Amino acid sequence: MRFDIKGNPSYGEVDIDLGPDETILIEPGAMSRMSSNLNSSFQRQGGFFSAMFRKMFGGESFFLGKYSHQNGGQLTFAPSVPGSVQHYQLSNNKINIMAGAFLACTPGVNVKAKFGGFKALFSGEGAFLLEVSGNGDLFFNSFGGIVEKEINGDFIVDTGHVVAFEPSLNYKISGMGNWKSTMLSGEGLVMTFSGVGKIYLQTRTIDGNASWLTPRLI
Amino acid sequence: MNINIDSEGAFGSAVVILEPGEKFVSEAGAMYRASSNMEIEVESRKKKNEGMWGAFKAGVKSMFAGESFFLSTYRTNDNQSGEVGLAPTHQGEVRKITVGSETWICSGGSYLGSSGSIELDTQYQGLLKGGFSGEGLVFVKASGEGELLVNGFGRISEVEVRDGITIDNGHLIAFTEGLEYTIGKAGGGWISSMMSGEGLVMKFRGNGKIFVQSHDPGRLGGALGALLPPRSD
Repeated sequence: MRFDIKGNPSYGEVDIDLGPDETILIEPGAMSRMSSNLNSSFQRQGGFFSAMFRKMFGGESFFLGKYSHQNGGQLTFAPSVPGSVQHYQLSNNKINIMAGAFLACTPGVNVKAKFGGFKALFSGEGAFLLEVSGNGDLFFNSFGGIVEKEINGDFIVDTGHVVAFEPSLNYKISGMGNWKSTMLSGEGLVMTFSGVGKIYLQTRTIDGNASWLTPRLI
Repeated sequence: MNINIDSEGAFGSAVVILEPGEKFVSEAGAMYRASSNMEIEVESRKKKNEGMWGAFKAGVKSMFAGESFFLSTYRTNDNQSGEVGLAPTHQGEVRKITVGSETWICSGGSYLGSSGSIELDTQYQGLLKGGFSGEGLVFVKASGEGELLVNGFGRISEVEVRDGITIDNGHLIAFTEGLEYTIGKAGGGWISSMMSGEGLVMKFRGNGKIFVQSHDPGRLGGALGALLPPRSD
C-alpha cells in the first residue's frame, strides 16, 4: 500500500494506492473518490462490545467502511473537518489518540476505547480515549494543523490541544503557575506531560472555533 | 487576458487582468477588489434573441444551480488594462480551467467566473439524479473558448478519468462533457453502502477529466453544527 498525504495543514486528504487484495478501513463517510472497481463493504472493528463501547465513549462509529479489490485500486479519503491528517506506523506498539480523531487504518490495527481516568475529565479531551495497537498504518486527524513533538522531560499542553501521544508519556492536570495566572491567563487548566515519547498537538480546537463563531451567528 | 490564482490553500482567489475590449463575467457578489477603471455591470443570463421571459427563466434556473440570479460583467472603460479580484464566499481553493476543445459542466455552486467569450448554459440533471447527488438540480455548462474559474471547499484536485471513477456525493466540482454519471450505491449492496457511511455516490463512466474537492461541506456541517446553539427561528 502506498499513500500520499496532501493539503496539510488546512485541508488534509490521503491518496491511497491499494495493491491486490490490500484492504483499508475508513471512518464512515470519509471516502471521497475511488476507482470504480473497488468493493466497499463494512466491518465491525473488534468484538461487539468493544465496538459498542468505542461508539458510545470513543466518539467513533460502530462500523468502519472497508475497501479492497483483487486487482487493487486507488482511493482518496478526508476527514469531516478542515485540518491535518497524520500517519502513524504501528509495529506491535501502542498510541493513544483522542476520541473522534480516528480516520483510517489497515486491518492489523486494533482500536479500543479506554477510560482515561479521573484526570481525563479535566483534560478537555473527553473522559475516554482510543488506544490503538497492533501492526499496520494508522491515520488520524485534527482540527487545525498537527505539530509533532518529541518529549524528553516535562512539557505543557493546553487542554483540548492534544491529538495523540505515545503511552510512554504520562500527564497530570494542573493550573498554570499560581491561581492568578491560572484564572487570568485564559489558559485555565493545562496538561503537563512527562516521560520520553512523541506527542501530536493540534493548533486549533473545534470547540474553540464553535464558541468563537456562536456569538457571531445571526 | 491574464489570470493569476492567489494563495492556493485554504483561501484561494483570482485576479483577472483585462486588456481593453476584453470582458469577464462572474457570479454576482464575487468581486472583492477592482482597479478604478473597471466598469461593473449587472447582466441577466439570457442568451441572444431572448426577451425578458428568457432572462427570468435563465436567472431562476441558475438559482437552482446554487448560483446568483444575475451575472456581473467587468470591462475597462478607458482603453487601458485593468484588474478585478474575485473570491468565493466560502473557504477553499480556486482553479482556472481552459475551455476550448472540451466543454465543462460545473456542479451547483462551483462556478465562479469566466471569460466573456464563454457561453454559459444551465443543464437540468433530472429530479432523481439532481435530488440525490447533493450537487444541485441544475449544473452550469461552459462552452466556447476562454477561461473558466471554479471554486471548491478545501483542496481541488484534477483527476484523469479512464474507464470510470466513483465520486462521493458532495465532492464534485466540474467534469468534461462526454462523461456520464449515474447515482448508485457505493458498495455491493444497500446495507453495505449505508453502513460504510457513503450511501449514495456518483458513478462516472467514460473518459475525460474531473475536478473534485477534498472536503464535503455537509460533513463539516454535521461536525460543527452539533457544537453550535440551536437556530432561534
